[in-house]
Amino acid sequence: MADLLTAEGVRKEFGGLIAVNDVDFVIPERSIVSLIGPNGAGKTTFFNMLTGVYKPTAGTVVFDGHNVTGKPPHAITERGIGRTFQNIRLFQNMTALENTLVGMHSRLKGGILQSVLRTPGLRREEEGARKKAHELLEFSGLRGRDDEFARNLAYGDQRRLEVARALATEPKLLLLDEPTAGMNPQETADFTAFVSKLRDEQELTVLLIEHDMRVVMEISERVTVLDYGEKIAEGTPQEVQRDERVIEAYLGTAAVT
Amino acid sequence: MATEQARIRVRPGYRPDVLSMIGLTLVGVVALWLVVNFIKEPADFYNLFLIGMTNGAVYGLVAIGYSLVYGILELINFAHGDVFMLGGMLVATLTTSWALESKSGGTLWLFILLMLLIAMAFCATINTTIELLAYRRLRNAPRLAPLITAIGMSFILQNIGLVWKGARPTSVPDILPHGTVFTLGGIPYTWNRFIVILFTVPVLTALVWLVQRTRHGKAMRATAQDREAAAMMGISVNRTISFTFFIAGCLAGAAALLYALYITNIRYTEGFRVGLIAFTAAVLGGIGNLPGAVLGGLVIGFVESFNNGLGWHAPGSDWTQSIIFGILILILVFRPEGLLGERTPEGA
Amino acid sequence: MDIRDAFRRYRPGFERETTRRAKRAAIAGLPAFLILAVTGSMGLALIIATIVFIALYVPAWDSLPLGHWIVTLSVILLAVLYPFYYPNLFELPIFGAFPSVDTGVTMLIYIMMALGLNIVVGYAGLLDLGYVAFYAMGAYTAAWFASQHFSNVTFHLGGVGSFGEKSSVPGIHMTIWLVLVFAGIFTALVGIIIGFPTLRLRGDYLAIVTLGFGEIMPQIANNGDNLLGYNVTNGPQGINPIDPPGFGNTLHNAVGLPSDYLSSPTSTRLFYWTALVLVLFTVFCSMRLRDSRLGRAWIAIREDETAAAAMGVPLMRTKTWAYAAGAFFGGIAGAYYASFKSGTFPGDFYFNISVFILCMVILGGMGNIWGVILGGAFLSYLNQEGLANIGAWMNANGVSDAVFGHDIDVPLYTSGIFGVILVLTMLFRPEGLIPSSRRKAEFREGVSDEPLYDVQH
Repeated sequence: MADLLTAEGVRKEFGGLIAVNDVDFVIPERSIVSLIGPNGAGKTTFFNMLTGVYKPTAGTVVFDGHNVTGKPPHAITERGIGRTFQNIRLFQNMTALENTLVGMHSRLKGGILQSVLRTPGLRREEEGARKKAHELLEFSGLRGRDDEFARNLAYGDQRRLEVARALATEPKLLLLDEPTAGMNPQETADFTAFVSKLRDEQELTVLLIEHDMRVVMEISERVTVLDYGEKIAEGTPQEVQRDERVIEAYLGTAAVT
Repeated sequence: MATEQARIRVRPGYRPDVLSMIGLTLVGVVALWLVVNFIKEPADFYNLFLIGMTNGAVYGLVAIGYSLVYGILELINFAHGDVFMLGGMLVATLTTSWALESKSGGTLWLFILLMLLIAMAFCATINTTIELLAYRRLRNAPRLAPLITAIGMSFILQNIGLVWKGARPTSVPDILPHGTVFTLGGIPYTWNRFIVILFTVPVLTALVWLVQRTRHGKAMRATAQDREAAAMMGISVNRTISFTFFIAGCLAGAAALLYALYITNIRYTEGFRVGLIAFTAAVLGGIGNLPGAVLGGLVIGFVESFNNGLGWHAPGSDWTQSIIFGILILILVFRPEGLLGERTPEGA
Repeated sequence: MDIRDAFRRYRPGFERETTRRAKRAAIAGLPAFLILAVTGSMGLALIIATIVFIALYVPAWDSLPLGHWIVTLSVILLAVLYPFYYPNLFELPIFGAFPSVDTGVTMLIYIMMALGLNIVVGYAGLLDLGYVAFYAMGAYTAAWFASQHFSNVTFHLGGVGSFGEKSSVPGIHMTIWLVLVFAGIFTALVGIIIGFPTLRLRGDYLAIVTLGFGEIMPQIANNGDNLLGYNVTNGPQGINPIDPPGFGNTLHNAVGLPSDYLSSPTSTRLFYWTALVLVLFTVFCSMRLRDSRLGRAWIAIREDETAAAAMGVPLMRTKTWAYAAGAFFGGIAGAYYASFKSGTFPGDFYFNISVFILCMVILGGMGNIWGVILGGAFLSYLNQEGLANIGAWMNANGVSDAVFGHDIDVPLYTSGIFGVILVLTMLFRPEGLIPSSRRKAEFREGVSDEPLYDVQH
């Protein structure tokens, strides 16, 4: 299986603070991999470098055969990396459908002149987009919520909307940043099944940042552990679970029951 | 799946060399132009230098006010320049009604000191009131809101100035002594100008001491960095912000006194003009940096006076505003941290 | 049987809809009110209007096909017929007579500029304090292509200064319709150029820099009589006269369209109707843009720039489009105004105008087309005639004496009054008079204001 994403020697310094220290990271196609580590380990910073929100201080990121190091976020999204955010960043005052439609921005072509003239081609494109957005919302478990403002949705639904929106960007690689934070066990189980469905039905590759070990253990094929910005372990969930350094970093009271 | 894998090594704090080269070249060209003019007409040069230095000091004082407020609230207080203008009008009124041109010596200086205190109190009161009435409510609103409110305030204050003293410039009696303090290249530097410098230096020192050494200053710096954390540490955010506006107001009042007495006239549109210059100075020096604000003020003062007065290939006073704005735009685009500021890479 | 029960059965959801229907009926009843007021009797007009109001309130006329067009069409009709019924209108209390058609033209031009600024500030959320630069750019474009300014060249293309005996008049004289298009496109290009360095700045710096450009432009205009040896703007004297609009002799002979607005006996009306068409054009484009992919991108950027970028919205490009669109309409407005006034001078352009137009957008309701039109109409009316009228009324009726002890000159306080409007609106109703429901929520609940470029290093 080819590697969809290869990160080599990726490093991020903020002034004197080294948030991510020369991390190598590889994501095989159509896999579900997880990135875990104690709070402050640099996971979200690493994510942000993969998605272009931060420019790496050093290192390279190659995605799908293209060098995307330091490219702006929208360019990386166009290449095929979609993401959700740790603290939900939906467009609160837009409806679920509109949120999803924004996700499609880079896949639609309607320009300014066409929009003003509302050419038949544009009308068709918009209709198709709305249909697709509607389907995505249904797929993500948000049936009937099309016209609800994002801020009015229940927490679990907001998380789902974030995923739907990310899916709208037609990604090859989906980055989920702590997607089950704040969810109860039932919601978490539903979400875990949903992620598997994504990989199986949509042929996506998924990278997960997670704190909930049940999720990590259940669906990850491979787990990478960061601590203080460095990779301290990598392997199957079982291997990592037994790794001494990992246990040390986590104090072992992670909910692995 | 082989690709172009260029290794990118970007060290923090480094700018791409091309930009620095262009910047240095520009500075070099300007320096060359100054040298040529100096050689051609040294007397003019000295004179303009002194004028620029004096004006620059006033701009610096006003710029500190902008810097302080921006540092703590991330708000460009558009009304600051107009508060300065109203202070100037007050000084004009007091000077005339107290008939200060007929006084001299110790009495004169006593009155000037009194005017200084009144002007400072006046401007400080206006400034704190504006914060209380308008900006406080909007502290958590989207950033557009307090900015637009500040513009509205600026308009209101300008109108007050217009109604108070009319559309034409109000002249201020020339009461400061004109004795020579020293001469530079044959050009005398008179007391009425020297006072401005005499005042700015200790004020700047006092302010730096205030911000760095006192509890109040620490509270200001803490609030500027992280309002919530400061509040959790027991700092009264409201009081600290009011205090900042108070200090900024005092500075504006002092600058107004100096300006009015030294330029000897004041007009209701002057606040807007000086305000924009001062804000440019603050950004040039590094927003939030107090010595930087004064440095920026001096630089702009020099730019203005050299541009207006030099004979060899000077764009001329018609273009002064454009040049100053050009500087602002260039700084914001190419070196937003200003001359003395630090490039702050923010964390998430 | 309770009458409300009857209504509830007839119109389910009656209570919920009450306010909405009342508003719509009121607006639709306005034409009836005003046209009937032509009789000069406000009393009679009120009675008939009440009847019309009730007649419009009860039936569900807006669920008919095209029903929701009734309000829009009646307002347009009102506007189009204004020059005819306006002399017979009653006098308003305090404000005095309704504005003249001439003032109406100025009002419409300001409304157009407000709509243009609305795209920048209202849709994309970019605070532009230098909109006057676009207005100036448009005005000077008209001056270049429809006057005798470039007298060393003689180029005619249907321009009004070039008919019959005038066909050898020096200068570039293009027909106003082409000039308007040029002005729009040229100003949009200038907008893109200005936007390139500035749109990457965060909100407050962007505001100051646009302010800077708004100041630089008039200074260039003022000093433009000797730019590297060329007389580009004719300096402080400005360029005048500028050709009026017109359709040329051929069309005049064929279809009866006026060949030259100024030579027609109803020239003010012609200017007025053309301005109205321009405003309608701007409204049309605004609506289409708002509901398009680009419009969504603008709202997304306004709400959360970082998330928008992560969803594939190219920030610089999208912001630049907003700027260019706003500039386009500002340029057309400026060009038309220059033609209307038959001249353009550097003194016409100053910072206060930018704030003035911003005030219209904010008071009306950022992002809401109707609101901006309302805000624009009201504030431009105040500026042109309203404040003077209020002052006259206050002086004539002893109000000034009672409050101030002497007569006051209200227009002197124009900038202060606008300042107060800005402050009060921001403090108490930041979403404006007619908010879009989105904006209301944004101001109450906030947006994620962190600009992306601060973060990306």
